[in-house]
Amino acid sequence: MAGERATLGVGRETLAVPQHHIVATPPPFDQPPYPADIFAGQTVLVTGGGSGMGLAMAKAFAQGGAQVAVMGRSMERAEEGAAQIAALGVRAHAMSCDVRQPEAIAAAFDEAERELGPIGLLANNAGANFPILAEDISPNAWNAVTRIAIDGTFLCSAEFARRRIARGEGGAIVNNSAQYIWTGFPGDAHSAAAKTAQATMTKKLAADWAPYGIRVNAIAAGFFPHDTSTAGRREGGIAPLQNMIPAGRTGNIWEFGWLSAMTCTPLFGGMTGQVIVQDGGESLRRSLMMPDFVPPRERADGPWGWQ
Amino acid sequence: MSGWLNGKRARIEGECPAVASALAAQGASLVDAGDCDIWVHIAPPPPVKLAHDLTHAEWRASLDAGLDRRFLGAKDFAGRCRARGTGGAILFVGAPEQALGADQAAAVGALGNLTKTLGVEWARDGIRVNSVLTRDAGATLGNLAAYLVSDYAAYVTGAVMGIDLDD
Repeated sequence: MAGERATLGVGRETLAVPQHHIVATPPPFDQPPYPADIFAGQTVLVTGGGSGMGLAMAKAFAQGGAQVAVMGRSMERAEEGAAQIAALGVRAHAMSCDVRQPEAIAAAFDEAERELGPIGLLANNAGANFPILAEDISPNAWNAVTRIAIDGTFLCSAEFARRRIARGEGGAIVNNSAQYIWTGFPGDAHSAAAKTAQATMTKKLAADWAPYGIRVNAIAAGFFPHDTSTAGRREGGIAPLQNMIPAGRTGNIWEFGWLSAMTCTPLFGGMTGQVIVQDGGESLRRSLMMPDFVPPRERADGPWGWQ
Repeated sequence: MSGWLNGKRARIEGECPAVASALAAQGASLVDAGDCDIWVHIAPPPPVKLAHDLTHAEWRASLDAGLDRRFLGAKDFAGRCRARGTGGAILFVGAPEQALGADQAAAVGALGNLTKTLGVEWARDGIRVNSVLTRDAGATLGNLAAYLVSDYAAYVTGAVMGIDLDD
């Protein structure tokens, strides 16, 4: 029954959808889907791992016993994240790095490997995103969003792969993409471009590196509100957002972390080149009869319309 | 490594030893009839023929097995879930869209968009619908299937995925 299912994760009382709707919920954070030693002896590097979705990825790897190198633009944030990861019982090391700079990436990999040993797993999460009209995106803003995600994912992945190939060992990469990569994202043009590039390069990188035993997959993530997301800062909390998603709720951030880490486990050892959508059906919501179309610039409260 | 499906009853229609053993290993009770929480349909691959060599009967048989039976089975499963007021999980497993003949291309293209449609149409019934389209029949397929029908995939619905580069 709905009430019984709700006890597994999100409490029913926190949901905004009608009581007679049934909402599928995941197990709680302390019950990961894999054993605590599935990544034992391995090191993962998580870009943008100090907060938000990257921190969720990092925690999920830590729950499987991986040592975690946390890379962030802000050293302070990376250190805060590393402290939370270390609290799960694994070694963690914080680093500051701009993923648009290949030399800086190589230096960060060197530092991480000195501290924690060879990096055999990589989670590309570094990214920036903010709602804005396309005509208001400055060249600097465009470059910031697209190059962190596109160049950053490519450069970190290539650095990772060169090191794995040199060692004669395989590895696994997971990329944080987004559910709007198939539909566009009016009011968020820079991120629409950036996140799709991450997904399409996932397939080609997987093909290029399959002979070396390096797997590459991506999660096309939906709405996983957290402290540092635009949605997480929304006045009134996330409850009103739950009604708009077919699943009846926003995602729990550990669900995203788990699926990301899961693609890197031996359990999914044959999987590569896949982009898995995890969005509670949000990107598929569709009806011939919909509310009137309002161009992003004419929405009363900004490009996403609900700020 | 077990327990994703503890307490769940799963009905598997079609043959795939990797899927059956993975679901059982994760704690699911495999049932042949009656109420179930999980319905997995595994389509047998139809023989590969050039389109102009396919008879209408062969075409129809392939679409019956690869599309019609899956829709009707899903509809029946979802109806039973609604009747008892519980959610559920549906998973379609089969070969990729372009892997075989034109009959397969039609059936699997239709199935993919059906997966996306039913995943949303039944979302508020707590019923999730996903597809894995692959030529893989090994342990990764079994583990992926078990994951997708478990509560760990509670936020995954309407997803169509493969496993390897050929999918």
